[in-house]
Amino acid sequence: MGTVTSLHNPALDTPLENYDAGEFYCELLGRPDNPNTELLALYERLQGIDLADLAIRAEDAKRELQMLGITFTIYTERDAVDRVLPFDIIPRVITAQDWRKIEAGVCQRVNALNLFIWDVYHKRQIFKDGVVPAELVFRNSNFRPEMVDYDPPLGTYVQIAGIDIIRDAAGQFLVLEDNCRTPSGVSYVVENRHLMQRAFPDLMVGFAIEPVSDYGVRLASKLTEICPSGISDPQIVLLSPGSFNSAYFEHIFLAREMGIPLVEGGDLFVENDRVYMKTIAGPTPVHVIYRRLDDDFLDPEVFNENSLLGVPGLMRAVHKGNVTLANAVGTGIADDKAVYDYVPRIIRYYLAEDPILPNVKSYICREEEALRYTLENLDNLVVKPVGESGGYGICVGPKASRAELDECRERLKRNPANYIAQPMIDLSVCPTLVGDDAVEARHVDLRPFAITGRETWVLPGGLTRVALPKGSIVVNSSQGGGTKDTWVLRGDAK
Amino acid sequence: MNGKLLSRHAECAFWLARYLERAESLARILETHTSFRRGQAGSNSWAWIVALYAEETEFYKRFDEADAASVIRYYVTDLENPSSLLASVRAARENARTLRALISTEMWTQLNDFYTRILTFNESDFHETRLSRSCDIIKRNCYSEIGVAESTLYRDEIWPFFYLGLIIERADQTSRLLDVEFARQMSGASDDRPETQTSLWSVLLRSFSAYHAFRRVHSRGFAPHLVARFLIFDTHLPRSIAFCGEEIQRTIAQLRGEFHLSSAQRPLDHISTFLDALREESQNAELFTHLHDFNDWVQQALIELTAELGAAFFGHAFENQSLAATTETSTSLQEQLQS
Repeated sequence: MGTVTSLHNPALDTPLENYDAGEFYCELLGRPDNPNTELLALYERLQGIDLADLAIRAEDAKRELQMLGITFTIYTERDAVDRVLPFDIIPRVITAQDWRKIEAGVCQRVNALNLFIWDVYHKRQIFKDGVVPAELVFRNSNFRPEMVDYDPPLGTYVQIAGIDIIRDAAGQFLVLEDNCRTPSGVSYVVENRHLMQRAFPDLMVGFAIEPVSDYGVRLASKLTEICPSGISDPQIVLLSPGSFNSAYFEHIFLAREMGIPLVEGGDLFVENDRVYMKTIAGPTPVHVIYRRLDDDFLDPEVFNENSLLGVPGLMRAVHKGNVTLANAVGTGIADDKAVYDYVPRIIRYYLAEDPILPNVKSYICREEEALRYTLENLDNLVVKPVGESGGYGICVGPKASRAELDECRERLKRNPANYIAQPMIDLSVCPTLVGDDAVEARHVDLRPFAITGRETWVLPGGLTRVALPKGSIVVNSSQGGGTKDTWVLRGDAK
Repeated sequence: MNGKLLSRHAECAFWLARYLERAESLARILETHTSFRRGQAGSNSWAWIVALYAEETEFYKRFDEADAASVIRYYVTDLENPSSLLASVRAARENARTLRALISTEMWTQLNDFYTRILTFNESDFHETRLSRSCDIIKRNCYSEIGVAESTLYRDEIWPFFYLGLIIERADQTSRLLDVEFARQMSGASDDRPETQTSLWSVLLRSFSAYHAFRRVHSRGFAPHLVARFLIFDTHLPRSIAFCGEEIQRTIAQLRGEFHLSSAQRPLDHISTFLDALREESQNAELFTHLHDFNDWVQQALIELTAELGAAFFGHAFENQSLAATTETSTSLQEQLQS
């Protein structure tokens, strides 16, 4: 293997000439005291590319995203704007060894959470054994009394999960958040790979990378496993809130990949506790609904009565076992940020195993001790609302202004139970093209997607989100985040 | 594959094609008007375009006069007017967006690219002097989309609905253009020297993309009744009423037969009745004197057919009134024309 410098062509601007990961773990290079030798070949290949060429390819990829309409929608007061989620051309690579650990950790977590949800809606043993405080769950607005004693096929509540993982300065993977309701982003995983294959085929040559494009086929077969009993060839549909939803592109993607109808609430109706869709040939029975609609909007007879997006009577059909929803109603009790802190204990309780992926330490502000600590150390902590998603309402202490900290303190005092606090984690970084003439370190996270029928399968890799503004650690698309293609190297590769 | 096409998606496919055809038609008409008519007597008149879509009331509420600026504003750039060129393209794209999971990637990218491109057009691109060029771009992009659909759209039930939208709109556009153009030509307001007349009829045929085809069939002159009969009854001309009518019938018959949709029977009966009446009309030597009534009848029949399709497939509540109107209109036309 040649040295890094031997490949330098001094006439060209090499992309990583001035790259500096600082004190963070770098997903390409590792740490100075513990370099990631497995990825040296990729490093060298990147160095062999002219910076200007890299920028041209990035521009091509951007144009293609626009043309394909791979967009998310941002709503302003006046109109809806289709925005392309920024795509960074430099991939994030996970070695086979690292991936084995992530994969095992994600499976373990999803299994434990499914067992936890079953317990909450049935025996409630975990509360009786004093492992998790009961009121933490029962006071949660995502607890659905309607689900008590409901038995989902195979005991699976969370068929589709997205587990947010970060990597600290020492290179250790930590779980930051569980998403057990309607996690989004998987379409970008597949589309980013396709984009990469077209824009940058030469970068991939010689690397054995786990494929991602069979996600739809896998999901369809998992959803078939959970269909109501007695049905051999179930009709699966994807229920979307509609084309104005910001994730509508993903709904289209998933429906296409699975070859199933993309329906809206108005396309379905319930008669005799059975669900039908309105087709040109008349009513057609529906057996499994992959719903990308929150619990609240699903059935105006049971939940939000003003919802026009849902299907009246849907929950009756669910209870009769005539239709299965993925994910089940009421899974929000498992991905609540306050429950999060108990997940390692939940894993030990149900599986009698140590958690493979540890949590980030968090302070649950509903607890007096934790609240006091949080208020005293506000400028060192990241404070998050418990029920929000999308990166809204987050206060990053070390980066917040005086006024922002004061405002956060006020909110905390007013409603402490609504917040958790976590220490500032040194998120790992990845080389990222900035503007068209520099490659700099930017913070990344990772959201692997796990699908569960009889067993759990994890899509190799997942969505790497990158915080594009310099120094930012908020990776959400609504807050200036972009994405990267995520490669998982196959075990047999060098 | 049977029974999985949502009613809503069938309707979107139908309207996707209608909006494309509508945009193509309007772009072609405006293009012909601004290029071939230059220098002709009456070429400054834009009022007839307002008459084309029978939107005089709406139009004159907003503008005092139908001149280049007001007509272009209303029919080209105004997104508030649902029948404007840009609004039609936008509506086509919105329908395609809803259908995105069902149409081919190629159909989506062509239309999305087209839409993004015309969004970059500015005022000057639609000024009278450049209108013809911009309309040509729009027209060719509509053709491209229809062509891409023809080459890539999977031929399950979605295709017949797309195709029905296309040919129903085409028949409607032909009937409207025929009506307005003949009224103009026959009004005698313009100069009636033979050479001017020749040029007028050739422009008229060009606005149907039918000039050279007509020449091949009738190599000398432009007898007005021959032009009219050609545009109505020639079964080889893709824009003729007869051609579209037969395609509509064939497509609905496919829904009834190949796709076993029994609810296709009523629309099928409707179009068959229409075609019978049309064939009878082709024998009518007096047709030319009733051209306006004839066109009203065609447009009414297409409106009723659309309602029949809505009731049979799109889940629209069927209005008994429209059923009554169907039979009544059909008879009344025959009575009217045969009397």
